[in-house]
This record gives sequence, structure tokens and C-alpha cells, in this order.
Amino acid sequence: MSQGFTPEATIGPFYPGAFLSDTPQDLWTVGPLVAHRPEGQPIVFVARFIDALEQPVPSLVVEFWQANAHGRYRHPLDESDRPLDPQFDGFARLRTGDAGTLRLQTVKPGAHPVFMEREALRLARPEPVALRRAQGDPELAEWVEGRARSGQALAERAVIMRAPHLRLTIFASGIDRLVTQVFFDDEPLNATDPVLASIPDPEVRSRLIATRRDLGAEARVEAGERGRLEYELDIVLRGGRETPFFDDWD
Amino acid sequence: MADTRVAAGRILPVVVNDRESEARTPGQPLYRIPIEARDALTPCPPLPPLRAGESDLTQIGPGRPRAAGEAVVITGRILDEDLRPVRRTLVEVWNANARGRYSHVIDAGRNDAPLDPNFYGFGRTVTDDEGRYAIRTIKPGAYIARRDIEWWRPPHVHFSIVGSGVRLVTQMYFPGEPLNEKDFIYLIVPESDRDRVIGRPGAGSDGEARFTFDMVIRGRFQTPPDLD
Repeated sequence: MSQGFTPEATIGPFYPGAFLSDTPQDLWTVGPLVAHRPEGQPIVFVARFIDALEQPVPSLVVEFWQANAHGRYRHPLDESDRPLDPQFDGFARLRTGDAGTLRLQTVKPGAHPVFMEREALRLARPEPVALRRAQGDPELAEWVEGRARSGQALAERAVIMRAPHLRLTIFASGIDRLVTQVFFDDEPLNATDPVLASIPDPEVRSRLIATRRDLGAEARVEAGERGRLEYELDIVLRGGRETPFFDDWD
Repeated sequence: MADTRVAAGRILPVVVNDRESEARTPGQPLYRIPIEARDALTPCPPLPPLRAGESDLTQIGPGRPRAAGEAVVITGRILDEDLRPVRRTLVEVWNANARGRYSHVIDAGRNDAPLDPNFYGFGRTVTDDEGRYAIRTIKPGAYIARRDIEWWRPPHVHFSIVGSGVRLVTQMYFPGEPLNEKDFIYLIVPESDRDRVIGRPGAGSDGEARFTFDMVIRGRFQTPPDLD
């Protein structure tokens, strides 16, 4: 039976460079020679992408999406009263080089609450279209009922905090869209983050946590008064050390 | 407290006979995002300023000569999973030239077909309030993807949709192309969904070939109520 959705496909090997150069690639820099800077701790996130044969994956495209230093997303559905940063949109698109690595210059995202009230309302009262579909599909009707139950449960809960994290959408020749989230190893909130907690094996969980590099004094001076922090992580697409990826279809 | 643990998600399919797909596709089931962390904050990048003529790939700039090959107009609507229009989302397209050659440094050396000086093969546009878009391009040629197994890619146009809470990358094929049925990337699409990746031919009054390519984007993305 047709799912009714447009199937995804790979970007293939010939993704145009113009789509990279016309999209932000460095979230520190507001514009050429512009003195404004986003608020927060400057960081560099260095990711190395590896395949099942332990080979680096070049020409892989990653879209990053993150909250600003206050934990606020520039998104119409972010209901937080935390401030937006006029200098920070939180979206970047980068491509790996021959070594399978990329470097994102950004600021460390803030922790942020998940606002469950709206989500609870949405879960409890599915869209009319979803309902109509459900009428012809017994499994879907069950799913809609399950959503309503989850909505009630969530409405009774306190605000849930998310640890600081980057959201990655990954594209490459040979694969369709992959999504994951990357955390930082110096954040105490990791211990209670619901996404990390949903991965039962602590070793597998650790594959989503970037490690802070020890930068020498020289690097801190070079970066100016607001010294940068660097974090690194291997992202393994397949194999024994495979990174957890997420299913965001429902 | 309700049990909000969730079952394992999808296992992603591997494209048969594609070594990259075999080495890069995760082997483990996807993890489903726990319900208490589902917040609908799908990337919502600000729209970039578009230059004049970016949606017309048949010229490398306004006033420049027309590229070689058959011009085709592709139009369609983009809807979210509740069939609401996805408004003001960025549509990026790219395709090979009429001879099956991409203007990409990686395509140099593996493809004998010549570049067309008047065709770069990438462009962008933005959907309107009804979720509609339109682009004009050159119908791409087929090209060989792997000589050792004689794998030819049929003519196809790559589409990328980002912003307004949705994300989709897909490929549009042309109806009636014999190579479609031999293409591993086309064949990985479940049979019941294959008509969703084929453009529907339509009549053009001006002699140009026209295709309709509508997209329904899956995901529990929530189309933002208002992006103004």
C-alpha cells in the first residue's frame, strides 16, 4: 500500500557547490568585516565521518541546526521567553573534504526546555486529515488513540530540559537523509537529557558526545579575548562503532 | 508516569549494487525520538536572497544564450504530511546537461560527455502561499554510473526542500524512460510509491514540455502557523 508520501533519495555525488557557498558555513561570522558577533561561547565542532570500511567519507553534506547561547531557536514554534540573538540564526551547511572531516565554527547552544503543553494539545487533538486517514486504516486509528493517551500523560508533566546539543541532518552519495544529535562532554545536563537517556547502552550513548580538545595557551591567545573551545567526534555511518541515528517520521 | 519508551524505528534499505550505499547505510534500526523530546523544531533556516533568473536553469544568467537540449518546465505543490501547503520553503534543484554531464569537478574524468558552456545545471526558487513552485531546466541526458555493471542512470532532476519545518531530498524521473526500470536508485522505491517520483506530463501552450511534480513530505514536522 502506498504510504502517500514522496520517497526520499540520495543527493548523489554531484551536489552543487553553490548550494554550500550560498548558505551560512560559519556561524561566528555575521558578514565580511562585520564587527558584530553572536553572543555566547565560541566553539569549533570538528566531525570526522567514517564508513563501514573505516574509510573517511568525503563530499558528505551536513546541515546544522541549533539553539542560540540562551537556548532559543529562531523558529516560529519556539515558545520560550528566552531572548533571540539578532546575530544568530543557527543554521549552517558544510561539506566534508577528502579526509572526511568538517569544522563548524559556532557558539555553544544553550540548554532549553521542551514545551510539552502545546505538544500535549497537538497529540491529544490530531489534525483532521490524520483522522480521515485513520478512518480507513485500523492500525492508524490505534496510533491516533495512542497519541491522545501520550498527550494526556505529557500534560501532567513538568518542563523537560534538553542538554546543549547540535542537530545534524546528513546527506551523501549512497545514503538518504540521516538525522542525529551531538552533545558536549562537559555538560552535566547530559545525565538527564531524554534523547541520550533513550539509548540504553552507555557505550552507544557516548558515540553522540563530542570530546573537548585540550587547546594550548597559544590557540587561546590566537582566538582573542573570547577563547574558543574545540570539540571533536567521529560519526560512523555503519559498522561496529555505528553512531545512533534517529527516526523523525513520527 | 506513562511509559514513553518507544520501539525501534526503521531499518534503512541499501541500494543494491551500490558500494557506497553498502558501506554508508546504517545497519542498525534507527532510534525513535522519545516522545518527551519531540518538539517540532525542525530546521527553519532563513530564506536566502535569490538572484534574478535563479529558477531558470536554461540560461546561466539573464540575457545569456539558451543551453543546448530540450527545455522543460517543472511545476508542482509541496505539502506537509497533513496535506497543508508548505509556504515559502526553499526549493533547490540540480541536474545533468542534455548529454548527461554534470558541471561538477567530481564528474570530470568519469564522464566523456562535454560540458555545455551555457548550462551549469543548478537553480533555486521559493514556494508561494499555496506551496507552489516552478522551475525551467534542460531535460537531462542519461549517463553511466558504473561501467563494470553497465549501470546507467536514467534522466532525473534532483530536488531539495528545506525550511518552513520540512526537509526532503528526492529525485524526479521522466515518464516512459526505459532506463527507469533498470536503475537501482529508482528500484529501491517501493513499487506502490514509484508514481510519486515520476513527473506527470502536461500540455504547454508555448511548445515547451511541462511536467507536474508534487511532493508530500513525511515527518512529524509541524508547518509553522505563520512565517511573516
